[in-house]
Amino acid sequence: MTDAVTTAPVRMSIQRRGLTGLLLVLFPVGLLGWLILYPILNALVTTLTLRTDQGLVLSLDSYASFFSDPYSLNNLALTFWTTAVCAVLLLVICLPIALYLRFSRGPLSAYVQALAIFPLFVPSVILAYALIRTLGPNGLVDILLNAAGLPKLPSPYLTPWGPVIGLVWDNIPLTVLMLTAGLGQVSDNAVEAARDAGARPRHLLLHIILPQIINALLVALAFAVLGIFSSFTLPYVLGPASPEMMGPYMQRTFADLMQPRMAITQAVITFAICAVFGAFYVRSVIRSREVR
Amino acid sequence: MARLTLSGLTKSFGGLDVVKAVDLEVTDGELVCLLGPSGSGKSTILRMIGGFEVPSGGAIRIDGEDVTAVPPERRPTGMVFQSHALWSHMDVFANIAFGLKLRHLSRAEIRSKVEAVLELVGLAGYGSRRVWQLSGGQQQRVAIARSLVLEPKILLLDEPFASLDQHLRERLREEVRDIQQRLGITTLFVTHGQDEALALADRIVVLKDGAIEQTDRPSALYRRPATRFVAGFIGHMNLVPTAFQAGRSTRPEFALAVEVSDGPAEIAFRPEATGVRPAQGAGHALVYRVTDFGTHLTLDLDLEDGTRIKAHGAGSIAWAPGQRVEVTPAEVLLYRDGVLLSTEPRTAAAAA
Amino acid sequence: MQPQPASRPRPHTDWTGIGFAVLLSIVILVPLIVVAIWAFTEVWRYPALLPQSFGLRYWQATLSRQDVWNALFLSLRLSATVTFLSALICLPAAYAFARMDFPGRQTLLLSFLATQAFPKFGLLIAVAGIFLSLGLIATFWGVVLIQLVNTLMLMIWVPVAAFQAVDRRMEEAARDAGAGPLRVFWSITLPQAGSTLFAAVLLTFINTFYETEGAWLIGAPMLQTMPVLMIIFINNQMVIQYGAVLSVLLWVPSFLVLLFSRRLIGSQSFAKGFGV
Repeated sequence: MTDAVTTAPVRMSIQRRGLTGLLLVLFPVGLLGWLILYPILNALVTTLTLRTDQGLVLSLDSYASFFSDPYSLNNLALTFWTTAVCAVLLLVICLPIALYLRFSRGPLSAYVQALAIFPLFVPSVILAYALIRTLGPNGLVDILLNAAGLPKLPSPYLTPWGPVIGLVWDNIPLTVLMLTAGLGQVSDNAVEAARDAGARPRHLLLHIILPQIINALLVALAFAVLGIFSSFTLPYVLGPASPEMMGPYMQRTFADLMQPRMAITQAVITFAICAVFGAFYVRSVIRSREVR
Repeated sequence: MARLTLSGLTKSFGGLDVVKAVDLEVTDGELVCLLGPSGSGKSTILRMIGGFEVPSGGAIRIDGEDVTAVPPERRPTGMVFQSHALWSHMDVFANIAFGLKLRHLSRAEIRSKVEAVLELVGLAGYGSRRVWQLSGGQQQRVAIARSLVLEPKILLLDEPFASLDQHLRERLREEVRDIQQRLGITTLFVTHGQDEALALADRIVVLKDGAIEQTDRPSALYRRPATRFVAGFIGHMNLVPTAFQAGRSTRPEFALAVEVSDGPAEIAFRPEATGVRPAQGAGHALVYRVTDFGTHLTLDLDLEDGTRIKAHGAGSIAWAPGQRVEVTPAEVLLYRDGVLLSTEPRTAAAAA
Repeated sequence: MQPQPASRPRPHTDWTGIGFAVLLSIVILVPLIVVAIWAFTEVWRYPALLPQSFGLRYWQATLSRQDVWNALFLSLRLSATVTFLSALICLPAAYAFARMDFPGRQTLLLSFLATQAFPKFGLLIAVAGIFLSLGLIATFWGVVLIQLVNTLMLMIWVPVAAFQAVDRRMEEAARDAGAGPLRVFWSITLPQAGSTLFAAVLLTFINTFYETEGAWLIGAPMLQTMPVLMIIFINNQMVIQYGAVLSVLLWVPSFLVLLFSRRLIGSQSFAKGFGV
């Protein structure tokens, strides 16, 4: 009975309310169109056409120059490498934390959760600065190694590992949050029933828990990949100057080299590469809303 | 003091008729229960009276005035919701005073009215409590007070006690009945619990699939359910299929004589009106299960053809599963095609 | 059957928890502590374990720099403008999405996902391409607009969830008590959704304050917001303490959010906003 009731609010005049609703959402939707949709379409048009004497003609020249330039390809490869390493590390670090948070009731779990979410409130510039002071040359790690009479380790600062460390640090909170939310859908009863049937922890994880959170896991990874692939601040500050990740590369092409068309070409290439992840992310959000 | 009239009230959601042409007249000071299973349309009817749903057809009149198109804030109705819907950001006093403030009463008036109504629902002195500091029963009392303080012509209660436990529910419904009778307020009460309806109502409206199945006083409803559905919904009713030929039942164990046309029918009788005694010979039923409810013993009995019926057994007899018994129903009703046959059946013995 | 897998808390010591707590403490907290130490350090020569002398000298030095104050005021002005604009634009729309029925409602709401479904910096480059032709590069309003790209999704989805979480019966009870639709919104819906809305507004403010990428791309080097100034300090290898003092200084607003928005972040609705 109640299900029939909730669907229909008080309606004085359905049409009038419908019009009011449309008017209210008009502004943000318009902004969305102007700031997201239009730039993307514009980027496609700009990079795929060439202005000649005969007017606009279709041309792949900017893509051809990107894919024939070894420097660009190196940057792209570095970006792939960084993203993949970060994704694996995030999974290895965050899944155990999320599992612990889901199944522990101890007083420590509140502390662990607070720490895992903490980086959400650390702006990436401050993080970058903190990592330089800790892992950089003559940083805390060097000081400690020296005090212990151990040889210096090569610093990850200004190597590809610098951005990796920073990006993983930065992405821990959302990944943990998404995984814990996914694990929240695994009922205690399901786990207890499996345990009752004789499942060991390994079986529990493989056959009961993982199948139920696989979607949350993939969404969390897709979300992280989307963020990492075109990250800017951390690779710009912590990473090597050459090869560089796509984020700093695009920025440099746009602002320093003043080649906006090339920069936009690079942007479209990142769109294309991330399209799978973006589509997956959108699809699963839509699906989870339909279930509700 | 008001009179509520529903005529041809209809509501459809997406082509599905949830309420089908309901006619109902509630007189001044009467308490009427809308009783039915989930999906029977009872809450929808109440929400249409409150103004929260716009009827697809028909009219709602209060004291003869058509309010069908009047928005809820201008209707003389007060609604109490199942989830109590108290405003958790206000304290008890503010919850009750909200409607009075909208009516621009003076602060002194508001204070005295709120205190009076809190007294009425037994929560004097609770005004400064936060809503979440109250128990479920207290919250529901505040919700009732919030509606009563505005002196509505019609009080609407939508399963107000559904989320409370059994004992509290019984106590609160007695209190609601007392308050309602003291104030003489016309009240419509939606419930799916037959106990609640029987305990509270002057009249009960039984709904099924959005249509009225029967409207009657509780006692009449229980004794002479107009349809098989009502019979089964209010209390337990044993229904034994049979057929009649030349005015006689074809079941030997229930040899009834009644003046009906030939054809199938169902014999109906209440467990408490079913006499059972240990069989002298073969008997015609087998005890399947004995349940002791303290106040009475219920026996589940299997008839020859497998039909299971319930009967109240005497506590002085040691009943046991498997025991053979004889059954003698009293106050028997007959249903054909789900509808009560008006003719009174007599037992064959009485007819003879 | 004995319930004893590793993931369960045992009656005795929670070794897994201790392990995570220690590791996370080191990884998460130590870098930040190092920064805090640097902020109050006057001399710290390698390879000493601790600074040779502590003091507030560099606070004075940092706070007497005009560019720091300019950046702070610019960042505050920018954040306030962006927050005000996005609240003005998004909150009524969020209410409409949550409570009204209009054609295309679901599709339009989902379309805001687009801001999350593209690699962020690539999107910003595409937007910057448009701004270039509009002359918005290196202008205050250009930076404001690019920040809106970041805040749109947050300021729509979280408030929509907040409004939807308000029990409709509460609103109906208020109508029943004689309140008109506007009064119901003002007296019931808004206070009920208030804490989540407040958290969303606060997060928008803080996110904008710390946003680096759009500000760097559109604003730098003409418009120096606080994060842009930080990057300039880091790149130019200026006195180490400047960065440390700025970090500690910037930390204050961030910590306030940590306290205020715990409810929002802790609740699962936040993760739901990201699609889980």
